[in-house]
Amino acid sequence: MRLLFSLVRKRLGAFALALLLSILTLAAGTGLLGVSGWFLTGAALAGAAGATFELFAPSALVRGFSFLRIGARYGERMTGHAATLSLLSDLRAAVFGRLIPLVPLKGVSSRTGDFVARLTSDIEQLDLVLLQALLPLMTALAGAGGLALLLALTLPEALPVGLAGFAITALAVPLVLVATGRAVGTASVRASADLRIAALDGMDGYLDLAALGALESGERRFAETAAELRRARLAEARRVALGPALAQLGAGLTMAGTLWLGLAAVEEGRLAGPVLAGVLLAILALFEVTGPILRGAARLGSALAAGRRIEALVSAEPSVRDPLAPARLPGLGTLEIAAAGYAYDSGRPVLADISLTAKPGERIALIGASGSGKSTLLSLIMRLDDVTSGAIRYGGIDIRDATLADLRAHIALLTQDAPVFIGTVRDNLRIGSPFADDATLHAALGNARLDGFVRSLPNGLDTWLGESGATLSAGQARRLCLARTLLSPARVILLDEPTAGLDGETEAEFLGDLLVAVEGRTLILATHAAVDHAAVDRVLRLEGGRLVSA
Amino acid sequence: MSTIEHNPSQPSPLAGEAGAWLRAQQRAGGAWLRIAIAVPLVAGAFTVAQAYVLSLLIDRALAAHMPRAGQAGLAALLVAIIAARALLAYVGERAGARASEDAKQAIRGALQASLVRRSPEWFRDKSSGVIAAQLVDSVEALDGYFARFMPAMIAAAILPLAFAIGLMPIDLVVGTLFFVTAPLIPAFMALVGWGAEAASRRHLTAFTRLSGLFADRLRGIVVLKLFGRAEDEVARVRAASDDVAARTLGVLRIAFLSSAVLEFFAAIGVAGVALYVGLSYLGYIDLRGAPLTLQAGLFCLLMAPDVYMPLRTLAAHYHDRAAAKAAAADIASVIGLPAAEAEDTNATPSRALPAGPLAVTLSGVGVDAPGRGVVLRDVALDIPPGTSVALLGPSGIGKSTLVEAIARLRVAEGAIAIGGVPLSEIGESDLRKDVVLIPQRPRLFHGSIADNIRLARPEADDAAVKAAARAALVMDFADRGEGLATPVGERGRGISGGEAHRVALARLFLTDPGLVLLDEPTAHLDAATEERIVEAILAFAEGRTLIVATHSQAVARRMDRIYRIAGGRLLPVPHRPSAAREKLREQGEPT
Repeated sequence: MRLLFSLVRKRLGAFALALLLSILTLAAGTGLLGVSGWFLTGAALAGAAGATFELFAPSALVRGFSFLRIGARYGERMTGHAATLSLLSDLRAAVFGRLIPLVPLKGVSSRTGDFVARLTSDIEQLDLVLLQALLPLMTALAGAGGLALLLALTLPEALPVGLAGFAITALAVPLVLVATGRAVGTASVRASADLRIAALDGMDGYLDLAALGALESGERRFAETAAELRRARLAEARRVALGPALAQLGAGLTMAGTLWLGLAAVEEGRLAGPVLAGVLLAILALFEVTGPILRGAARLGSALAAGRRIEALVSAEPSVRDPLAPARLPGLGTLEIAAAGYAYDSGRPVLADISLTAKPGERIALIGASGSGKSTLLSLIMRLDDVTSGAIRYGGIDIRDATLADLRAHIALLTQDAPVFIGTVRDNLRIGSPFADDATLHAALGNARLDGFVRSLPNGLDTWLGESGATLSAGQARRLCLARTLLSPARVILLDEPTAGLDGETEAEFLGDLLVAVEGRTLILATHAAVDHAAVDRVLRLEGGRLVSA
Repeated sequence: MSTIEHNPSQPSPLAGEAGAWLRAQQRAGGAWLRIAIAVPLVAGAFTVAQAYVLSLLIDRALAAHMPRAGQAGLAALLVAIIAARALLAYVGERAGARASEDAKQAIRGALQASLVRRSPEWFRDKSSGVIAAQLVDSVEALDGYFARFMPAMIAAAILPLAFAIGLMPIDLVVGTLFFVTAPLIPAFMALVGWGAEAASRRHLTAFTRLSGLFADRLRGIVVLKLFGRAEDEVARVRAASDDVAARTLGVLRIAFLSSAVLEFFAAIGVAGVALYVGLSYLGYIDLRGAPLTLQAGLFCLLMAPDVYMPLRTLAAHYHDRAAAKAAAADIASVIGLPAAEAEDTNATPSRALPAGPLAVTLSGVGVDAPGRGVVLRDVALDIPPGTSVALLGPSGIGKSTLVEAIARLRVAEGAIAIGGVPLSEIGESDLRKDVVLIPQRPRLFHGSIADNIRLARPEADDAAVKAAARAALVMDFADRGEGLATPVGERGRGISGGEAHRVALARLFLTDPGLVLLDEPTAHLDAATEERIVEAILAFAEGRTLIVATHSQAVARRMDRIYRIAGGRLLPVPHRPSAAREKLREQGEPT
């Protein structure tokens, strides 16, 4: 929540305005019903007694409160949403910015999209908590103040009943629900995660299950997990259902208690009858605020959990840092991997004692089964993480002694899962070189053999890609990502499975074009596809964490 | 995109279908849904009773000057009504939750059942994460529809009018006021809603372009970082977010008018009743014959907010319906909405396979894969029972395709027969019992290693599982953890691709098939382990037919015959089987 509150502080004015309007809405509603009750009763008593009744003030108040309520409500919703939306922007920017030094996160596959989906939904939960839980809670605090004032002026002996009733219903009950809901909520989150795993097992393991004739057992397991989730959710519902019931009970009992005390006061002549009617109706109206609080309370628990997850994510220490006194990498240099080893945090070794020297302009193909550590090796050269033993040097300088920006100006990596970003073709290309002019972009597209296609598009470089834009075939997308990489000034190009997902014919064609396109630069090409030995200088196989020549 | 950012992409073309499907799913809610719907209606009667008793109490005290002591009974009744309303609210919530959970479970079951009936082809180009998200998240998004929206909708349709009609005998003017305004509210709200929809449609392209940008950049954050562009993208993410916020507010400005309409009528209702009744008391208005009692006037005033309350509740839950419709449309586009009853019109094949090793004959077999064009064409193959065959070739050439086609896990043209029976005529359970395929990328399921092995024969005892595990060299690495109880799968990380493959191979050793199909059984293995695994496979394959797809020459050399796949065709490779195996064969069984 620290992150959220640091951001809220910047938008304090907007939230204060929303809060003010929210209080005004509640006050107008309470005033409307209270004055109505007072006026109506007073008029009835006066009418029956044949007495006169001053009409102007109450009828003006009734009309005034009506329109004040309508206006304040509209204003509250607009300002509240405006503030929340700008908070959403702040949150996104802050989380994105803080994630940059931390990615790639260990043990998180960005390819599944699951991580992204979870993070975006966490951010949304966090940002709605203000509008849906905290704003009503603060309004209720103001409401409690108003109630105290009203009772103190009219029926002081009802103060304990009124305030206790309101505080218990609007504040204590929601907080208790949040506090006790943590365990149940956790169980339901876990059951939901288990169901996702069971579903994934069923989909990704479809071939295994079908081949073993075990589809039914997979289906049974899914059904069992779904039943488990249902049980967890029902346990949660048992608790959540208390909210509306207790809200009704609290409002009713507070009103009834005040009525009982008020009847005595009226009997003793300490309180005018119409005032009692007004107070009772005002109390009923005031309890309206408990509805959103109790609805929001259910959210508050999950929002707190979301906040903790985001906080834990963005407050991690980056594993790779710039040195305090960086060395400059030479323009042209030999890439040297010296006895490099790498192990996961679990201690499971991935790479053991890798040594490789790539002279300027040399082309090396790195083959090996998937999972053999090819991608890991390339990411270590890019310093997405640091080697656990040995060293990687460029031009004789340990890459840990250079800045990341310097390293990335010298070495570029085309990752296996490089995406086409939402944006124009130009936006996508300029990620590789922000200030490149159109001629340069067309040249890079030409090298990736995509220029003809882009020129054939009605909007050319301005064609919108991604969601609701033109779609590229898998081959065209890979070519676009290659063109982006080629635009980088780097003299060393690392390509990780550049042909993954392409069919045989496209694969061969693409590999051929690629080798021409990187002409003159150092190339390390990781692939599990068959490599034409004549096209590269060396072919090395990664096996059991070691490099052997193939 | 965020839930508060306005999403104008609805209604999609699927929304109509989705709405009808949603309504049809109510049956799964069963009796609990009927209770959840009935409770607010019953609670409505108690609302009337509470207003009646309360107004009577005040009337007696203020107009009739009855002492407090004499009202104790009435006050106790009031408290009882309040308690009953609270209890009803609890029951209604519980019933709604129960109905919703039952409906969701039924829908998940139906979706899963419909997925299991899909052909293996259907899954190939689908992202399992997206499908799983439908089963978990999209179905969860239906929650509010059953638990809250349905009861609120019925209550909003009945209660305001019932209240209004009920008030008419007490005061015709007040009753009529409610009777006329209550139905007007939804009408005005719909009008405003159309305005908001039109406004959001104007922004449609910009919305969809910008709203997904954050998730998009997050997905590619590593690439942006590699190009040193991530810091600059922060500004872009913010700009896009701000732009969507501005456009959303533009739409909300109109959309919130609908809640203002509701607020307007509720406020006017209260104010109107108060002024009308007050002025009647004072004699300024006389629209009724008989004078109005204080109780009747207070009763009308107390009922005024409650007349509009069901509409407010409905408005508060209206987004549940929108969310459910969007989720249903999502499910429809990814999985397709399962029909109520799945009918199997095709006669199910039921022929059994002969006992012992099975012959495999292929003629004119061809496979087209979407996006890959022709993978195999006109493949002919005749494998006598008990023979071992290697299919050799680099990855991606079509070995897996052929193996899967033989196991009826991929649609192929031409004729395939196993044990002399055409593939299409073999009963599913017979086929799976007698033909076992271990795929190239086996999936380890969430559970222990033993659970995973036992998948092949659920009734296998611990000793059998252990023997299978030992044969597949699983114990080599399992003993580093907790033996066969070591957790694996989605959460049990720390098992490598080669190790996963050995667990899958252990599954094979629990079965007793006449035909064994292995797809790259020694991928990820070093030469020494490969050798031991091949020994284990050959020992198991004694007396069975074995087809192994592999890129390893060492594995292929141990088979009776070798074929190479090139250009979509199957070419025999001259090969002299290893002497040892030949000798075994001569001693073993007559071929």
